[in-house]
Amino acid sequence: MRHVGTIASRELRSLFVSPVAYAVLTLFVLLAGFFFLSSLLQFEEYVLRMQQFQYFDQLKELNLNDHVIAPFFGVMSVVLLFMVPGITMGLFASEKTNHTDELLLTSPLTMWDIVLGKYLAAAAFVSLLVALLALYPAILLLYGDPEVAKTLAGLLGLWLVGLAYAAIGGFASSITRNQIIAFAFSFVLLLVLWMLSFLADLGAAGGAIGAATGFSDFLRWLSTAEHFESFVKGLIDTADLAYFAVLVGTSLLLTKFAVESVRWR
Amino acid sequence: MIEARAMSKRYGDRLAVDSISFEVARGEVVGFLGPNGAGKTTTMRMLTGFLPPTDGTAVIDGHDMLTDPLRARRSLGYLPESPPLYPEMDVEGYLRFVASIKGVPRGERRSAVERTLERCGLVDVRRRVIGALSKGYRQRVGLGQAIVHDPPVLILDEPTVGLDPVQIREIRTLISNLARPAAGGTQHTVILSTHILSEVEAICQRVILIHRGRKRVDAPIADLVREGGGLESVFARETARDESEPEAATV
Ligand SMILES: Nc1ncnc2c1ncn2[C@@H]1O[C@H](COP(=O)(O)OP(=O)(O)O)[C@@H](O)[C@H]1O
Ligand SMILES: [Mg+2]
Repeated sequence: MRHVGTIASRELRSLFVSPVAYAVLTLFVLLAGFFFLSSLLQFEEYVLRMQQFQYFDQLKELNLNDHVIAPFFGVMSVVLLFMVPGITMGLFASEKTNHTDELLLTSPLTMWDIVLGKYLAAAAFVSLLVALLALYPAILLLYGDPEVAKTLAGLLGLWLVGLAYAAIGGFASSITRNQIIAFAFSFVLLLVLWMLSFLADLGAAGGAIGAATGFSDFLRWLSTAEHFESFVKGLIDTADLAYFAVLVGTSLLLTKFAVESVRWR
Repeated sequence: MIEARAMSKRYGDRLAVDSISFEVARGEVVGFLGPNGAGKTTTMRMLTGFLPPTDGTAVIDGHDMLTDPLRARRSLGYLPESPPLYPEMDVEGYLRFVASIKGVPRGERRSAVERTLERCGLVDVRRRVIGALSKGYRQRVGLGQAIVHDPPVLILDEPTVGLDPVQIREIRTLISNLARPAAGGTQHTVILSTHILSEVEAICQRVILIHRGRKRVDAPIADLVREGGGLESVFARETARDESEPEAATV
């Protein structure tokens, strides 16, 4: 796997000359700004109203972490749902339309050189997005005192979510030569994965799959939202870390099989 | 240097290549001839390891493509039917990337790229973005990626398709020079596919003709010209025969 870096850096260079990368960056920063501002304004309004009605007990409960940063991170994890597929849609699909899959697969590279190299490039981009995102809560340090540790835990959660999305998006890109299909497929995959906990809740409430509580627990475990929440609450649990590791590992393995299978048709 | 051992390829229930065997010796330039759909591209994809054969194997420079693929691929330069290009990269950056993944040591990459730019007539467009180049130049960049690591074996799938006569002559000269290098250069062994007969006469010493996935002719051009009444009549005769005559002809 000596060529992971070569593949990754080529991928990044191509990404940064493509309009997609800049569109995603711009849109992401703007959306982040918008949602950050709106949760901040909402917070201020709360504070004002509670002072007005002299709800001092509730006022004490209000804090930047739970009432500004947590909702902000929550929204941004949903924004990542459709930003990351934009970045990953071309990873493998474009190799097929450029015919460069024939170059890569006849070069003395291992499959992991290719799969990991591409994943690292996407992961680097996701890291850039999350780093930019960190600037917004950093602003709060100027005029408030959010808990830094809790904020960092939330950012870690967001980063892991992004990394998992990148791996899944890469897989979607590996099974088609059409970038639009890759985008749509990864978006659907990610959305379903995100909403599994809601499905589990619905099932439990309706009692439809009440008998299979084990199954509904499993759905809840599979859901990214479920694991992401605990990071936002400031909890860094190895079980949650393991979840993201499993998600990334499985996706990369599936990607490797998909890339190989092209040759076995 | 290049050996096909009873290679077959089946797409679904269609047998695209039917147990083809041949050998190409060091320094030979062999023309791989056949009408469209004969199975040339499929055979070359199996030789390069891009497609695994349904049966049989390819041996490149003594390395079996199935059991020792990395070493076999290291000895290989391949120009696919459509040149594998990243349109957003510039020519020089692209060739440097290819040199790197083909295993050219870091210290030698710059000179390998320079040599390739010169050989392929790309010096003037080295900083141009590939997507903005004309088809002729893109084909040259495609050839460049096949030779940048100076591989002993070259597999070229229709290297002159879609080019104008001047470009075709340039590419042919380049290929001829690869097989007869200046002192100290690597002597390349070349197999190139085409359906242009004059191309084969111009640069190849030997012809392998396939039709409907089967080898029909494998002979030096000189012999075909002497005994078979020339390349054109051999081609016409062999590709006109239908499936009821199975065995490969030897002239
Ligand atoms: N990926 C594929 N799937 C199914 N059939 C294919 C595929 N590639 C080639 N074929 C079929 O195999 C035969 C040989 O094709 P090819 O090797 O491209 O021939 P040539 O390069 O000599 O024109 C053709 O009939 C073609 O339709
Ligand atoms: Mg062909």
